[in-house]
Amino acid sequence: MSDSTSTAKSPVLDVKDLGVNFWVNDEWWMAAEELNYTVNAGEVLAIVGESGSGKSQSSMSLLGLLPSNGRATGSAKMGGTELIGMPPEKMQQIRGNEISVIFQEPMTALNPVYTAGFQIVETLRVHLDVGPTEAKERALELMRLVEIPDPEERFHSFPHQLSGGQRQRIMIAQALACQPKLLIADEPTTALDVTVQAEILKLMRELKSKLDAGIILITHDMGVVADMADRMIVMKAGRVVESGNAEEIFYNPQHPYTKQLLEAVPHLGTGIEGEAFGAELSDIEDSAVIHESDAAHGTAEDTADAAGSSSDQAAHPPSATLSPFVTEGGADRVSGLAEAAEAAGQPMRGDDIEMDSTETYYHPGSQADFSQPSALQLRDAAIEYPAIGRKKAFRAAHHINLMVAPGEVVGLVGESGSGKTTIGRAALGLLPTVEGDMVINGTSIKGLSNKQLRPLRKEVGIVFQDPGSSLNPRLPVGESIGEPLYLHEGMKGPALSKSVEELLTAVELPTSMRNRYPHELSGGQRQRIGIARALTLRPKLLIADEPTSALDVSVQAKVLDLFEGLQQEYGFACLFISHDLAVIERIASRIAVMRHGFLVEIGKSSQVVANPVHPYTQRLLSAVPVPDPREQRKRREARDAVLEATANA
Amino acid sequence: MSTNNDRQNALAPDDVGDNAIEAKETEGLSQGKIVFRKFLRHKGAMISIGVFAFVALFAFSSVGFGPIPGWWIYNHTSSGQILNPGGAPTWSFSNFFSLGDHPFGQDDIGRDNFARVMKGTQISIIVMVIIGLVCLVIGTIVGALAGYYRGWIDSLLMRITDGFIILPVIVIGSILGKLVGGANGPLLGLALGAILWTGLARLVRGDFMSLREREFVDSARVAGASDFRIMFKHMLPNAMGVIIVNTTLVMSQAIVLEAALSYLGFGISPPGISLGQLISEYQTSFATRPWLFWWPGLFIIVIALCVNFIGDGLRDAFDPRMKTIPSWRKMKKAERMTQNKVANTTQKEEAK
Amino acid sequence: MTRFILRRLLSTALVLLVVTFVLYLLLNVALDFFWDLRSSTSPNIEALYESRRRLLDLDTPAIVRYFKWLAGVGGCVVGQCDFGIAWKSGQEVTSQLQGAIANTVKLITASTIVAIVLGIAVGMVSAIRQYSGFDYFITFVSFLLYSLPVFWVAVLLKQYGAIEINNFINDPTLSSWVPIILVCVALGLFWMGALGGGRKRRLITFLAATVITFVTIYYILASGWLQAPSIGIVGVVVIGLGAAVVMTFLSTGLKNKRVLYATLAMAVIGALLYMPLQYLFYYQEMNWLWMFGLLIVTIGVAVGVGLAFRGPDPWDTVRTTFFTGLIVAVLIFADRVLQGWGDYSNQPAINNRPIATIGASTPNLEGDFWIANLDTFTHLLLPSIALILISFASYTRYTRGSMLEVMGQDYIRTARAKGLNERTVVMRHALRNALLPLASIIPVDIITMIGGAVITETIFGWNGMGKLFIDSMRQSELDPIMAYILITGLLAIIANLVADFLYAVLDPRIRVNA
Repeated sequence: MSDSTSTAKSPVLDVKDLGVNFWVNDEWWMAAEELNYTVNAGEVLAIVGESGSGKSQSSMSLLGLLPSNGRATGSAKMGGTELIGMPPEKMQQIRGNEISVIFQEPMTALNPVYTAGFQIVETLRVHLDVGPTEAKERALELMRLVEIPDPEERFHSFPHQLSGGQRQRIMIAQALACQPKLLIADEPTTALDVTVQAEILKLMRELKSKLDAGIILITHDMGVVADMADRMIVMKAGRVVESGNAEEIFYNPQHPYTKQLLEAVPHLGTGIEGEAFGAELSDIEDSAVIHESDAAHGTAEDTADAAGSSSDQAAHPPSATLSPFVTEGGADRVSGLAEAAEAAGQPMRGDDIEMDSTETYYHPGSQADFSQPSALQLRDAAIEYPAIGRKKAFRAAHHINLMVAPGEVVGLVGESGSGKTTIGRAALGLLPTVEGDMVINGTSIKGLSNKQLRPLRKEVGIVFQDPGSSLNPRLPVGESIGEPLYLHEGMKGPALSKSVEELLTAVELPTSMRNRYPHELSGGQRQRIGIARALTLRPKLLIADEPTSALDVSVQAKVLDLFEGLQQEYGFACLFISHDLAVIERIASRIAVMRHGFLVEIGKSSQVVANPVHPYTQRLLSAVPVPDPREQRKRREARDAVLEATANA
Repeated sequence: MSTNNDRQNALAPDDVGDNAIEAKETEGLSQGKIVFRKFLRHKGAMISIGVFAFVALFAFSSVGFGPIPGWWIYNHTSSGQILNPGGAPTWSFSNFFSLGDHPFGQDDIGRDNFARVMKGTQISIIVMVIIGLVCLVIGTIVGALAGYYRGWIDSLLMRITDGFIILPVIVIGSILGKLVGGANGPLLGLALGAILWTGLARLVRGDFMSLREREFVDSARVAGASDFRIMFKHMLPNAMGVIIVNTTLVMSQAIVLEAALSYLGFGISPPGISLGQLISEYQTSFATRPWLFWWPGLFIIVIALCVNFIGDGLRDAFDPRMKTIPSWRKMKKAERMTQNKVANTTQKEEAK
Repeated sequence: MTRFILRRLLSTALVLLVVTFVLYLLLNVALDFFWDLRSSTSPNIEALYESRRRLLDLDTPAIVRYFKWLAGVGGCVVGQCDFGIAWKSGQEVTSQLQGAIANTVKLITASTIVAIVLGIAVGMVSAIRQYSGFDYFITFVSFLLYSLPVFWVAVLLKQYGAIEINNFINDPTLSSWVPIILVCVALGLFWMGALGGGRKRRLITFLAATVITFVTIYYILASGWLQAPSIGIVGVVVIGLGAAVVMTFLSTGLKNKRVLYATLAMAVIGALLYMPLQYLFYYQEMNWLWMFGLLIVTIGVAVGVGLAFRGPDPWDTVRTTFFTGLIVAVLIFADRVLQGWGDYSNQPAINNRPIATIGASTPNLEGDFWIANLDTFTHLLLPSIALILISFASYTRYTRGSMLEVMGQDYIRTARAKGLNERTVVMRHALRNALLPLASIIPVDIITMIGGAVITETIFGWNGMGKLFIDSMRQSELDPIMAYILITGLLAIIANLVADFLYAVLDPRIRVNA
């Protein structure tokens, strides 16, 4: 547990034997215990863990912000002052002044009835003896520091008038107001889209070097850790399983849980590498070393070409998986991706495409050919949310041409509001296709009523994002799974039970679970039930709407494994919708990218990941942090360049 | 069996629950059982159920219901000899405690007040239950249809509820009471139910609207369920909380409303009898025969209070956000307990 | 926003129209227009029936009669209202309405304001002290109030709030000290629960509150204050200074010395103006116009004082002095009104029974502006208490629920994490958000209160709309009932408008179009 790196800087925070307990049902329930760590000035300490690991609660206990049934024990010293058990009056002077917090949800963490400026000014005036005018000046300065456009105007904006990223910047400005010695960032980018996340991460890195504060970064995202952290702590079920230098843990994890966690994280760029890349941590290390030297002399055009040619290679399985040549090639391709993105501003192939272009770029071989048999066809389709009362109809997808061949997995990627979910829902007949045509297994479903659609329902299944919400909480899960069979095939009694049990076995759940209610299952189990239910009628097409985004990484990895296995076994076609490029890359053979309701790029996974053409795709790809500190360091520079080049798009 | 266990073990990392607090509380229970268990823990509601059951049992058994005779010797219509001066209650503490013949007293023509109050309670409870049932049925059906289909049926519902809302219930109630009231309790209940359902319908509508957006409804539709099946098999059980809680609250409102209308003379009027009607009949004699005024009022309050507390308990039980947060005092106690334990163990260790 | 309100207005107006139509037809069935003739043994009974039919135009179909009625009502637009007549008394409905509307509005406004202020305050404290003894007590009390039938309470109030107190005023002998001591202890417990804190602080609060209550009650009894209640300059100064401190605490916290001095100065100015004002009141016949003028002056002075002290946040100072100024002004007004108590009680029309049980004002009362006001207050007292008791419970419950919800929000945690003290978190961040949903409760509650007024007015003989409605129902007079329905509906629409407006003021998400 001791730190291998001894920094010259003095520790800002010294935590010894910290524990957090909650009083639940007349007994203490342990949320975290035996935590020991120090945070140094100017250093980022990442606390990593999956949900329920106590990472957040243990940090909140430092500020006395536990819920009323919580209790902290042990010691946390800040420059000689003991924080645990400090009386509230004294704690108020520490909060926001010496230690400040950036919360996860920028939507709800700002008070909706006060202006952004007021909320920053308030923090300033609580702790510093400044008048309103001076405080306003300082607030504006802070807003400039966090790069809010038009600070004078935004000062008077209410939170609902700001975008998610801007709100998070206000949060940061507010947290930095009194130049705290310690900053606790509690999942600061989790609720944000990946490109916005990239901007916030960039900002936080810049601030970190400007301010001399220690930062505790609480996150579950290994990519974010790789991007930000100097040191890290891995927590599981309230205990620290591993701690130390971030790079050391990434490249040489000791604890099995850490290893498992790192393996479970999907790594963008794995697909184009074939089996070799990322299979062993030493590979990553090697490749990254070469990668660095390689990038030093490679020019943008060279690497772009290299990336193009090697992606062809990737189609063939590499002959000698571990030969240095292949790894070098692999490194080339990754850096090629980065460089290509970096060079977005320079004359390149994608140069003639504007950021706001709504045309679809088809990579070779991905042109929709509607004469071929297909599981799903969207022919110049437009989809609308129908008008309800006075609310006008909203068109969420325009001119979509997309085809999913039988047995093919197509990934649909985009940020929130891009219309990706809309397409999935329309394919199920839950939303109307108003223009063009929507063809499922050769039958057009455009304009069909609910009743007319019913026989077609057998052909399409869906797995929803939130496994908690997609199962009826009042029905035992067995009944949920069996419902399609009952409705379509009139199956009842023992026959139905048998089918349900078979399905449960198929998704690797014990058959005894059929009588359980959804709330008694864990997230991963629920999602398995969701998949089982979708596959009940052996559909030819499956719509998977962010099936893993609500899950922890290790669970996500298992569910994805299961999904891949089932896909091979059942051979269904699938439209896999996700915001996570790394997941999509892993699972899909082709990727379609959506932006603001338009399909902007489509191609083979390797083509899109290695060689994106549309500036938006480039931006999206470069924004994804990879769980590898050295590689991410490289990517970071590329990212910042791309962000700048494609800013305010 | 062993394979099952193996599988469960393999799944162990999945079980690093999202929220251990929740996981702990819900093991092996259906939603309904959890609600029931939470409800049982609500002291106020439990006491109220006991009291209400006692009152109802007393009211129905003492003076009899319909053709069934009761165990109390007097009935609410026949007058007898006035025992105490003015018909004052006969219970006394002589001889430790004795009820006497007319424990609640008698009215000016010698009718037994206990029998009258019991009969009034009976009628008031019947009216209350009828109002509750009418609201439950109409409110649920209309609310479910409006929330599920939206569109014109929803606008129509909202306009109708607006119409009921711009006037006080007591005003519309008086008019309807004048129309159908008199001695007929159940009919009055039906009429009042017909105006009180709107609040419930609005709430059910809201609940259905939000349930409609839940993914399990979509997944039922994708599975091929009909609208009817979606509404009543999938959504209704999930809206039961709102429905039960608000029906209870409507009932508590109903008993006071019935009493008020009867008091004003637009509800139940003689020879019909109800708690409100009793107060109305005897209000002028408050100065001379206060017991005639106190008893029926007390029973209205007890019934309404019980129903209110039951409703509160149900609301707490159905509310998923309500995690039982221990009170400040409980926390202190817990703190002390553990401290003692720690102290004990350290002492023991030191002793060793 | 304006369009939204206009559309709401139009749709509710249409709904009201439909409601009047339906109720008109219903009433035609429900009312027996010949009830007084049923038992008549008059020989010319047929002729009487015939003339009644002609008087009420009963041979015309009800639908046609409705539109005739509507046309008469529509005349209001051009200033010629015709609400019809109350056939039993032969009075024009318009003349019946005149005093009635004002009386009802007076009653409802007074009760609503008090209920809202008290309900929000108690609900807020109850939420902050969730699951404490105080919270359970308030929960129980509000459920009890929900369950109380108004008419039953009203009868009790008449007995114990008026008759017994009047008796006591005339013959102030106390039979036992036990109830008073119980009251003192109860109040002590109440304040202990409300203010909370550690064990020591709670004990201090309890003792202080008990002793203060006891001393106050003892003083009231011993000095004969009840026979001649007054505030006097001492009362104005003491209560004024107290108000200054409390206002400062609630508004900015006592740490802000400048605001504290400003409010204290406000209280002192009030005390200094006390004597000059007495001269003014003595030499100048007062009326409401004067009162309004003085109110404007008060506000002017308060704003002036606030700006004079300024401090870093002039508007916080002004806000606090404004409220303090209002309190001091009300104190001086109340003092002057109470000065008439002796005269008032001794008047033959009052006969030393000052707390009224019947009516909205004493007939044949002689006296100036102050006496008339005092008379109104004594009449207003009991019916308002009856009404307040009902709505107080619902405001308390709603505030508590909404406050608990808000206190669990993320932005409250943010506010705490910023290092704000608990007062600021509650008053600035939580309360404002908790009040938002309350804005939509207010119109509903006002309508409930209008309903409650039907009963209270009947019992207390308060000549308002509610009594008019009940009397007309009993007499089967269709036209006044319809007038009642129409005007109550309009009041409800106005209440809704006010609520929409309040909502827009409080919630920037509606006010500022994103």
